[in-house]
Amino acid sequence: MMRPRKWSDPGWMLAPTTILLIVFFIAPIGIAVYQSFFSWDLLTPPKAVGGANYLAIFKSGELLRVTGRTLFFSAMVVTGAMSIGLALALLLNRRGLWFSFVRSAVFSAYVVSWVAVALLWLWILDPDRGIVAKGLHVAGVSSVKLLNHPDTVLPVLAGVTVWKITGYAMIMFLTGLQAIPNEVIEAARLDGAGAWSRFRFIIWPMLRPTGTFVGTTSLVISFQAFDVVRVMTQGGPARASTLFVYAIYESIFMNLRVGTASALTVAFFVVLLSLSWLQIRAWRQKA
Amino acid sequence: MTVSRRALIAGLGSSALLACKKKAIGGRQVARLWFCYGGNNRVVLLDLVNKFNELQSKAFVEPVFQGDYFESLAKLRTAIAAGVPPTFSHVLGEVIPYLSTAGVLEPLDDYPGARNLDFVKALAQHGAFENGDKHAMVALPFNRSTPIMYTRKDMMDEYRLRAPQTWDELLSAAKRLYRSKQDGLRWGFEVPIDWWFWLAMVGQAGGRVIEPSGRITLGGDAGVKALKFWQSLVHEHKVMRPPPGRDFNAWDAANTDFLAGRAGITWTSTAYLRYIEKNAKFPVVTCPLPGDVKRSVPTGGTFFVMLKDVPQAEKVAAWSFLKWMCEPEQTIEWATRTGYLPVTNTAINRLRESGYYDKHPNDWVAYEQLEHADPWPWSTTLFRIERDIVNPQLEDAILTNRSAVDTLREAREEAEEPS
Amino acid sequence: MKIKARLFTSGFIHVLAGVVALLWLFPYAWMTLTSFKSFDEIIQRPTALLPGSPNLSAYREVFSQVPVGRYMLITLWVATAIALIQIALALPAGYALAKLRFRGNGLAFGLVLACLLIPTQMTFVPIFLMFSKLRLVNSLTSLILPFGASALGTFMVRQALLSVPDEVIEAARLDGASEFTIVYRVLAPMLKPTLIAIFLVSFVFHYNDYFWPLVMTTDDSVRTLPLGIALLREPGTGVRWDVVMAGNVILSLPMIALFSVSQRYLILGLTKR
Repeated sequence: MMRPRKWSDPGWMLAPTTILLIVFFIAPIGIAVYQSFFSWDLLTPPKAVGGANYLAIFKSGELLRVTGRTLFFSAMVVTGAMSIGLALALLLNRRGLWFSFVRSAVFSAYVVSWVAVALLWLWILDPDRGIVAKGLHVAGVSSVKLLNHPDTVLPVLAGVTVWKITGYAMIMFLTGLQAIPNEVIEAARLDGAGAWSRFRFIIWPMLRPTGTFVGTTSLVISFQAFDVVRVMTQGGPARASTLFVYAIYESIFMNLRVGTASALTVAFFVVLLSLSWLQIRAWRQKA
Repeated sequence: MTVSRRALIAGLGSSALLACKKKAIGGRQVARLWFCYGGNNRVVLLDLVNKFNELQSKAFVEPVFQGDYFESLAKLRTAIAAGVPPTFSHVLGEVIPYLSTAGVLEPLDDYPGARNLDFVKALAQHGAFENGDKHAMVALPFNRSTPIMYTRKDMMDEYRLRAPQTWDELLSAAKRLYRSKQDGLRWGFEVPIDWWFWLAMVGQAGGRVIEPSGRITLGGDAGVKALKFWQSLVHEHKVMRPPPGRDFNAWDAANTDFLAGRAGITWTSTAYLRYIEKNAKFPVVTCPLPGDVKRSVPTGGTFFVMLKDVPQAEKVAAWSFLKWMCEPEQTIEWATRTGYLPVTNTAINRLRESGYYDKHPNDWVAYEQLEHADPWPWSTTLFRIERDIVNPQLEDAILTNRSAVDTLREAREEAEEPS
Repeated sequence: MKIKARLFTSGFIHVLAGVVALLWLFPYAWMTLTSFKSFDEIIQRPTALLPGSPNLSAYREVFSQVPVGRYMLITLWVATAIALIQIALALPAGYALAKLRFRGNGLAFGLVLACLLIPTQMTFVPIFLMFSKLRLVNSLTSLILPFGASALGTFMVRQALLSVPDEVIEAARLDGASEFTIVYRVLAPMLKPTLIAIFLVSFVFHYNDYFWPLVMTTDDSVRTLPLGIALLREPGTGVRWDVVMAGNVILSLPMIALFSVSQRYLILGLTKR
């Protein structure tokens, strides 16, 4: 740390960043809170309605349903991405061109756009001509529900999301694995520890911080899921895949209900803040 | 570093070019038209737009594709709110009372020739809405349709069936046409789960979604009866395919199944007439929807609307296109190449005289069915009820077979809440 | 015996890795193969692996329906501009936070950390309202400006600068370099890997971004490629999967290419947070 040459130096250095951050991150939350007390359709003048918007999303059960759905979806994504990511990291943490190629293949999905991934899987899962439906048909399963039934749509969307982000989890775990000194593992091997106990007592404890970090990051990612919903299901069937962000989007842009959208945004803020708190804790542990 | 900075500055300059919105091309006034078609309809519309642009040298219509009706409408409403509306667009009939009441549409009555357009009453604003003539004319009928029943002649002959006249006849026809998985699955009947078709059945059962007093009843007993009929087709008789998706995915699936022989009878829009005829490997015969206590169909499709908040010069340019589109040649080209209904009486008479309907009896069925078309209530909540409430509820009720009475009671309660 | 078992295990692991690769690569292959088929073929033989007569008609169709070049240019422009502005702003901010002692340093750093936790999904409604009041919806400004300052980028620059010794800066000051020169000429080159990582992560994210352009644009004057490609799915008359997949190939190819040359930096950018 050193003294600035001129007292004004920190000012110009930080001004653009702080102004932009305040205008585009902090102020919007205030605006959302303010707007949540109005009923407004963007086209006709707004009406002050007090807490009616909050009451409405509570009473109709929309808030509860949306939160529940999103948590359910997130739980699937987090467990899927973490367990598969860890398994792949363990499997692919080996020297050689072949493994490096496979690692890249898995990770590449993380780089391709969500739109491309969503469209691609929409085609693969198409109930009439999709290759999965045809495969299941050959296997004797003839009514393919997948994206077309309220009970199966979220697991399918979660599956697609896992496919997309597992590469990220894998990379994080690989970095964690590579930080474990080889000698420690070798020593355990010489002491006669089998593969499972090596993992259970040596590797996993050292990977724990990474695991927490990956877990919370994928939790936050999955909580923000939107593109897959928008492209693949538009929140259907029967709203079964209307996740939080899509609910907000739908209420403002499809239904022009700014107040409802703002109330949902505030609720989203509260939920996400609690999740982020978990994330910060994980970060502290990692640091 | 210096090179990249120069590149940056050059890039900054070009960014202005990237986002430029054309106001005039070669001295011609540009009018931006937002449209929502894919496939054949898009081709036909773009052909007409090009023709118009070549034909005269004052106005230039620039078409912009905006996704399906709902996406496009969402964009239109946000663009109006954000002060960047297009000159004109076409929107679903159900949303016109709302947009008109919000005061964002340009009244068209005083544009030259506007009062002399001889639209088919059931399709134009004054006939397609209850008291539609008591409001300033803000909408010109463009692609207008009704739901219609598509059957296959070969199959109807094979099973010796006639066009179903009642719901019961539809059910028994569907049962006859159904084929189980072992024999190669074929649904007896398929229809997209959309409130449009439900509305037709509510009307047929003698109900209305919104009473003239403005009270939202969602058809009362008639609404329940219609929903129950659908549920029984799916769950009790298992002759109708459970809904495969939302919005136009559902329509797409019904069309695809019918064309692939996986559905014996389907209801869909007259809009798909040309598409289905062209792609079917069997003779297609359309018939009017069956009736219950009476015959009834809603009209559907879109109207052209002009936005109020745009420069007058753009509006004038847009009007010249709209007026041209209402001339019989264009109306006929649009209708015959797509399957939508011709919107002016002149066009219909001309088609009739030319013997078109003798060659295309399917088109005539669609036109004749207009006799049973019921107008929409002029209600600002109409679109919200459709989109926000009824459609998801219908989908849910039919997929999960939950009580039709409860479903519609809930929907009614939701509809009565302030937006 | 033991060696045999080892060999067997090793073979098994190679094969298992192959299955994994297949799970991730087959979808891309399927996408590419579909894009070379004709629509008739897709209808008649939807599961045929290879196109009967490979052709480019789907690509031609994409180009005729979507101004691919213009959308691509807009997308690249937006993604590049955002990434460059982020770096340009993060450098001095990160420098002030890491190296300068002044009142409010802690507060400013707290702001950066707080913003790290606020995703755009939470701010889009108010920002849309803000821009619509300023008549800025559907402009490049609305696509670029909200991302001009990156909390993550600032944070990463600060962290990286913490490990640069103060002496470097003191020496530069003695040489008479201005603070501006120190930030952009002396420190920036030292942070090259970090800056490349910030650039790549940001560029990839904004090239692919669907959400923000979807809510901020209303028509095609500033439409980005992901939006254009998503619009290829046409309503009602049968999805032309050959066309959609061709669009998908066009959309993903630049990212795959970028990924294959810069994987190392990308991973650095993701793991260094």
